[in-house]
Amino acid sequence: MDTAHLHRLGEVALPGFAVGLVGGVTAGGLAAVVGQPTGWALTTMLALGLPLALLGGGYGLLIAYGRVRIGGFAPVALYWLVGFPIARLIHEVATRAVLTGEPSLPNDLIGFLAYQGIVSAGFAIGFLWLHERLAPRWWRRVSGHNPLAERVYSGYAAHAEAMWEAKQARKRNRATR
Amino acid sequence: MDTSETPPAGQPSGEATASHEVDQERVWRAGKLEPMPIRKLPDAPPSIHLLGPTVFLVALGVGMGESYMWPRLVLVFGPEIRWLFLIGVTLQAIVMLEMARYAMATGESIFFGAARVFKPIMWFFFTVAILVYIWPGHLSAGAAAFEELTGIPWLVTACVGLILVGIVFSLAKIIYNLLENVLSILIGVLVVGTAIIASLVGSWSDLGSTLGGMFAFGYFPDGMMSEAWFPIVVGSIAFAGPSGMQQMWYTLHLRDSGAGMGSHIPKVRGLRHAGEEEKMPSRGFMFDTSDPDEMHKWRGWRRWVTWDAVLLFWGITMLVTISFTVLAQAAARDNPNVAQLIESGEREAALSAMSDSFASVGGPLLGGLFFGFIALIGLNATLGLFDSFSRGQADMTYHFVPGARRLKMSHLYAGFLWGVIAFGIAILLFGPADGPSGVLDILAFLSTFAMGAYCVVLLLVNNRMLPKPIRPKWWTNAIIGFGAVFYLGMLFYSLFAYGVVVS
Repeated sequence: MDTAHLHRLGEVALPGFAVGLVGGVTAGGLAAVVGQPTGWALTTMLALGLPLALLGGGYGLLIAYGRVRIGGFAPVALYWLVGFPIARLIHEVATRAVLTGEPSLPNDLIGFLAYQGIVSAGFAIGFLWLHERLAPRWWRRVSGHNPLAERVYSGYAAHAEAMWEAKQARKRNRATR
Repeated sequence: MDTSETPPAGQPSGEATASHEVDQERVWRAGKLEPMPIRKLPDAPPSIHLLGPTVFLVALGVGMGESYMWPRLVLVFGPEIRWLFLIGVTLQAIVMLEMARYAMATGESIFFGAARVFKPIMWFFFTVAILVYIWPGHLSAGAAAFEELTGIPWLVTACVGLILVGIVFSLAKIIYNLLENVLSILIGVLVVGTAIIASLVGSWSDLGSTLGGMFAFGYFPDGMMSEAWFPIVVGSIAFAGPSGMQQMWYTLHLRDSGAGMGSHIPKVRGLRHAGEEEKMPSRGFMFDTSDPDEMHKWRGWRRWVTWDAVLLFWGITMLVTISFTVLAQAAARDNPNVAQLIESGEREAALSAMSDSFASVGGPLLGGLFFGFIALIGLNATLGLFDSFSRGQADMTYHFVPGARRLKMSHLYAGFLWGVIAFGIAILLFGPADGPSGVLDILAFLSTFAMGAYCVVLLLVNNRMLPKPIRPKWWTNAIIGFGAVFYLGMLFYSLFAYGVVVS
């Protein structure tokens, strides 16, 4: 895989990466605001934000390769049902490692994962919401030099074009009346 | 009223038209006001375009009711009380679909529809909106949380916030687009953040009891039917999801986002761009309900709004409120003082104690996060409420105050917006030192009454002002009728049985 191809993949994955990162950064950022030690805030930002961001980017790639339906809720919910508990587990283990010096798993691992799985549905709604807001605009911006982004954007564009044409038709009707 | 005898929309009915040009036009007559010309219904967007105008409703609905009132009831009566929440929110989802029916079929607001039935009903809503929504109570809750977070006095934040809201909406080229973008991002961050906070502090057992409680139908603890608690329970059900007139304003947002026949109505613009506004038509439009193609498109629009309503509104309201209940339970478990404060109704003190409790468990991080999200909820509610209030009042003024059409809709919108901002600042600075909670109590009473009233209006408007093929089914009417009895019945039961209004 050459650098140019990697660059294109990165561009397509960027919106999902950014949205995933928002979760961790919001948590870490607020920690800094309330005077939490920088180290603690950074741990949360990295240990939660990074896994969520990587998984978010992964979702963008799945869309780009046509593996999941654009904007559909069910695929996103399934994706985060697996992904969110993993990200939280990484965060939990890393935080324990920073606080106590040695990494350890949560006491009730099954209960922990099950609970995170349920909460993931909420995260999935928010993720899809933000992703659908940001991604199409970004993909359009980079579609000039990125064929991958162009392909996925064209799905959105077809819809937008139909709406725009309907609007123009209405304007013409008004003008001729 | 001639609607039941009126020929189905689409059939020519050339009477009562003055000019020769309009003489040829096919119209739909609804009530005694100006008939609606027949126009084409646009195609419904595909489901992937799922981010519709429900964002506003969610923004308004995900307010203090979810973050405070329900956790309080859960702590007092146990999680089983949440079956009432489920009923309240589900009822609101059906109301939302019915509000959308009229707005999408005509491009008119529900206020206009009410005026078609009987004009004084519309003036009633015009007055209630002013009485209820000029109080800046909703803003102070978020600003108080911001003070806890940053130390900036809440009064300063509230006043600066009010002026900022006014400037933002005045400068926007097309208000709807800006509002939708800003609110969408805020709501997105709120939803993602709520999920993460819940994932950090909650546990499997908290969630299990909260979810299970929603299906404890018929659970009436003894204490609930008392003078002290019944009014609070009624108020909390009214506050579940979008309360008060927010559902009525939803019809204006649907119109402005071009849903259904709303696509034939120009958008409202910010004050700076008011000059570019197209002439606002004096009434809405109707589509040809005798044309199978048009009916096919109509069903597409109904699917779109159903998807919108159920997934976004119902899902997010449930998510946020379940999360906050889990948070309240976690806080009360760690610190019994929290339970006491929440039960006594000291909202600010309780929120502060909840934050402290989270701070003691997960470090200041969680305490700060909690206040950050209370502030965010306050900001969302303020943005949405001010815009919606001004939109609704401007719409009624433009169409029904003699001479108002000399002004543009955007000018009227700006007038109401800055009016409510100026009044808000004056109240904050010199108003009764009663505190924000006092204002919310009055609001709850009038909200409940308005909600009962709009259920009646919906029944009248959708069954008498729309062509037969697109009227609601009998079971939808039954649910909306139940809503009217539910809201008004509980309100007056509370008044007569206990001698107190809802709170």
